[in-house]
Amino acid sequence: MALCQVVDIKKTGKFLTIITFIGIAIIVFFQYNPNESSFFIPCPFHFITGLHCPGCGSQRALHQLVHFNIFGAFRYNPLLVLSLPILIYSVGITLYNFVNQTKYRVSFFYNNTFIYVYFGIVVAFWILRNIPIEPFSCLAPTTL
Amino acid sequence: MEQQEVTNRPQKPDNHLVWAILCTVLCCLPLGIVSIIKSTKVNELYEQGDYAGAQKSADEAKKWAIWGAVITGAFLVLYIILMAIGVAGGLMSGGGY
Repeated sequence: MALCQVVDIKKTGKFLTIITFIGIAIIVFFQYNPNESSFFIPCPFHFITGLHCPGCGSQRALHQLVHFNIFGAFRYNPLLVLSLPILIYSVGITLYNFVNQTKYRVSFFYNNTFIYVYFGIVVAFWILRNIPIEPFSCLAPTTL
Repeated sequence: MEQQEVTNRPQKPDNHLVWAILCTVLCCLPLGIVSIIKSTKVNELYEQGDYAGAQKSADEAKKWAIWGAVITGAFLVLYIILMAIGVAGGLMSGGGY
């Protein structure tokens, strides 16, 4: 009985910690536009090479997303927006496992075809968004 | 019989693909991509029956994802320090920027 309560307190604690972190992140990304505030970090890869990596624009995309501007987010980083359903699902499972001490797996993550296709998309996206010619330059982070 | 064989296999190690993808789309470092490739190795080696190798690849996938996050974190700290110096310098030279 006592043990049960201890476990429950632990669970609640973990749950509240997660909610707090997610809440803070949403508030920060809602309040501040990475385009205007200087305290958002630039991408180290972009900072050093001047090229766009597959993750460039994702902070600005998150700002648009918490404002429900999906199209704006898409222009900043289409990869992030397209990965979002997968990310929400898999991060959700990971957090559920963390709170409840379970070991659920995301089944398609163990399918190599899925991983190779995703990998191919990431690499293609990385190369294409650095080509400064019209149809491809749309993939680079773009302000509307 | 086949059921028996399946239960005799050790559990497939976690390939940490969640962190690899998060690292790739958020951390802005190509290290996430290395982590993705390591994740495919986990499945391959496991199917081949090389369980120790699969576990090793799983650990490496985790390692690369963590390194991506650590380097981004280090960059963040460095950036904040540089910005603080810059802001302080700006203030000392009289006037905001």
